[in-house]
Amino acid sequence: MIGQVLGRCRVLAKIGEGGMGTVYRAYDEGLHRDVAVKVVRKDAALGPSASKNLLHEARASSSLSHPNICTIYDVGETDGELYIVMELVEGKSLRDLSADGGLAPESVMRYGAQIAGALARAHDRGIVHRDLKTANIVVTSEGLVKVLDFGLAKTVGGGIFEGPTRSFASIENASSVSGTLPYMAPEILRGDSADYRSDLWALGVVLYEAASGRLPFQGRTGFEISSAIMREMPTALGPPVPPGLWAIIQRCLTKEPMQRYQRASEVQAALEAVQSAAIVSKDSGTDVSPPTTTMLHSVRHAQVKRGDFLLLVGTTKGAFIVRSNAQRSRWDVGGPYFHGHNVYAMAYDARGGRHRIWASTQSYWGTLLRSSDDFGKSWTNPRQAPIRFPSDAGVSLKNIWQIAPGRPEEPDVLYCGVEPAALFESRDAGETWSLVRGLFDHPHRPRWVPGNGGLALHTIVLDPTNAQRMYVAISSGGVYKTNDGGTSWTAQNRGVRAMFMPDKYPEFGQCVHKIALHPAHPERLFLQNHWGLYRSDNAAESWIDIANGVPSDFGFAMIVHPKNPGSVYIVPVESDEFRCACDGRLRVYRTRNAGASWEPLLRGLPQKRAYETVLRDAMTADSLDPTGIYFGTRSGQLFGSRDEGRTWHKILEGLPSVVCVRCAVYEDSSGDGQPALSKSAPSTATRSKSLSASKSHSASQTHKSRPTRKR
Amino acid sequence: MIVPVTFHIPGALREFTAGRSKVVVEQSPASLAEALSVLWTLYPGVRDRIATEQGQVREHINIFVGDENSRYTGGLATPIPPGAAISIVPAVSGGCGISRRLVNSKNRLRTVVILRQLAASKAYLRR
Repeated sequence: MIGQVLGRCRVLAKIGEGGMGTVYRAYDEGLHRDVAVKVVRKDAALGPSASKNLLHEARASSSLSHPNICTIYDVGETDGELYIVMELVEGKSLRDLSADGGLAPESVMRYGAQIAGALARAHDRGIVHRDLKTANIVVTSEGLVKVLDFGLAKTVGGGIFEGPTRSFASIENASSVSGTLPYMAPEILRGDSADYRSDLWALGVVLYEAASGRLPFQGRTGFEISSAIMREMPTALGPPVPPGLWAIIQRCLTKEPMQRYQRASEVQAALEAVQSAAIVSKDSGTDVSPPTTTMLHSVRHAQVKRGDFLLLVGTTKGAFIVRSNAQRSRWDVGGPYFHGHNVYAMAYDARGGRHRIWASTQSYWGTLLRSSDDFGKSWTNPRQAPIRFPSDAGVSLKNIWQIAPGRPEEPDVLYCGVEPAALFESRDAGETWSLVRGLFDHPHRPRWVPGNGGLALHTIVLDPTNAQRMYVAISSGGVYKTNDGGTSWTAQNRGVRAMFMPDKYPEFGQCVHKIALHPAHPERLFLQNHWGLYRSDNAAESWIDIANGVPSDFGFAMIVHPKNPGSVYIVPVESDEFRCACDGRLRVYRTRNAGASWEPLLRGLPQKRAYETVLRDAMTADSLDPTGIYFGTRSGQLFGSRDEGRTWHKILEGLPSVVCVRCAVYEDSSGDGQPALSKSAPSTATRSKSLSASKSHSASQTHKSRPTRKR
Repeated sequence: MIVPVTFHIPGALREFTAGRSKVVVEQSPASLAEALSVLWTLYPGVRDRIATEQGQVREHINIFVGDENSRYTGGLATPIPPGAAISIVPAVSGGCGISRRLVNSKNRLRTVVILRQLAASKAYLRR
């Protein structure tokens, strides 16, 4: 093999050997860099389909870019031999480093936080390590941790007693039993498949081993080890291991996956917290075990199964998850979640194999963005508010008005529209957020004025065909558009009337309540203004009035039918002084010809003394067939229609004021039964949900009563 | 000699203080700002609940040093006497494990605040 060329890499020297194959140092002659090449042994029990899987896994893992992950550069096949080209990492394995009685707690926390950071990145991409162990973790001479062999374990080695992967960091390890079994989570031993929480168990084992130099679950035989993992508690670690670190390890090593940390980022945050606490409070002996996930045991949960249909309902006193099946006729209610908090924004993110519910919560204690991967049974409770203005911005976050998942092809991109008016963006699936400066630094911003609900950026609309183009709506600032991915923004309000301004058609300052577009017609937008109903046929360059036959052109909610681009739904209210359904009759209005005419939809809706308001994000449409339309009212009623609005039925009443309604389909998967891990492209239904999520946003608050009159 | 300062933690924040309703800080912070920074070094999750990202105490959160609402005694610059009790109290909240002692002192304080506000508005009217 030495001297041979694999792809464009010349093999220089052998650096290790393991169960899966041999690792060589090599030189990439194309990019002129040193690399490591792992050549999978021909006899590594790989059938043709397993080889294909390994290539697939390696390709998926090669998308991972993180300072603590050993990057996979390339995979290939020559003469029936598979090889994987990866970053050359030089250092000592964590196993070697901790062999002599364990490392200092400070090092364990420092390395542990880096390992957790690597796992967090991989998990967000739907990649589970499956074989995390101290032998797979290398610490470089600079103290940088590199986790090796991400995701490669799945396809190699079927049995649990086989050591699925071997890396050049663990070549001395001959016994495959001791190599992997001690790191296996109880659920794997029970025969369940590994998910990201099994990695967190393994991380617990790694931390224990690093802190003490010994494994938490030991035995002379595989059976004894398994039985210890399933039933025994590890021996407690006392000083010098601080109680906070021990608490983190214990939580990782909880037998029941649901009771563990639910995300690697939580372990990372906890380790960082103990690190910083340890510096200051050496003598205080304070136990720091910061829970960043809140388990909700006392709340009634909807039991969500695959194929179920959900309504996510945000109210001024908490959130509800309302479950049904595809029939959408019987409903089961979970919640209230975030008891007493304002929940202005909710979203469902089914991209990248996730099934994540997002919610914003606002209370005395501030505004947080939180998420749940188990349909409300547990929610993140971040120690640090994930969305925060930088100090030079001089303002503080008041509320999050909209959570918008990005385009299906960018599964880690999310946006939030907030008050005071600003746009935040995340490119790592919501782990970290940054202020979109192009909009925040816009020269118009100081002249935007708050409406009655505050100065908020409440609507985010992505152009599905142009990744650089996006629209936002600000009350009161108007519509702004970017054509360059958020760097520069222009006001797009020509033709939109501002009743309350001396100049009735200003460049900006309109109080736009909602905008919507259909993905099949990305140049065409609809706009519900504070007085005024408009359409643009030229990507918001100019707007024309379409209030043809509506009882009032004042309103908040507006959605486009997910399948018929010309169909738009609104709920007119009488005036800005009397923000109630016209004449006390609750009617949805629909156009099927892009605004040329409108028809009332009222069958099943109260037509007497129904002084209701439907706020701007409180209406939504589903992706099922026939299309369902749903809305919630300020008086706490939730209505739905299974026939595109022809007939309505009351789903719930007696809720707190509804500010947000979203829907979600928990996809039936044809895959391996691991929702969080499926790497397949979003299904059609997922895609249409994402599109409708970015389009049919509609909730909100009201605006200052201004002495305006209807035209 | 260090006389420890004690924080009283409301129920809503105990999730971030390992369940503790009292946190004793074995230090002598000079000001409320210093005391708080010790608290959230120990329990980082508490910080963003009490203060905005710009470092201001949140609008509806009151921090009492002894029986005095720090809003009226210099805000974050309020001096902390040795052994002080510092209570974090959401405005207009009940429950949340506020001690009886504090509720009583809050009532006393409310009277003081109302009197002060009256005095201030009279002074304003006179201008």
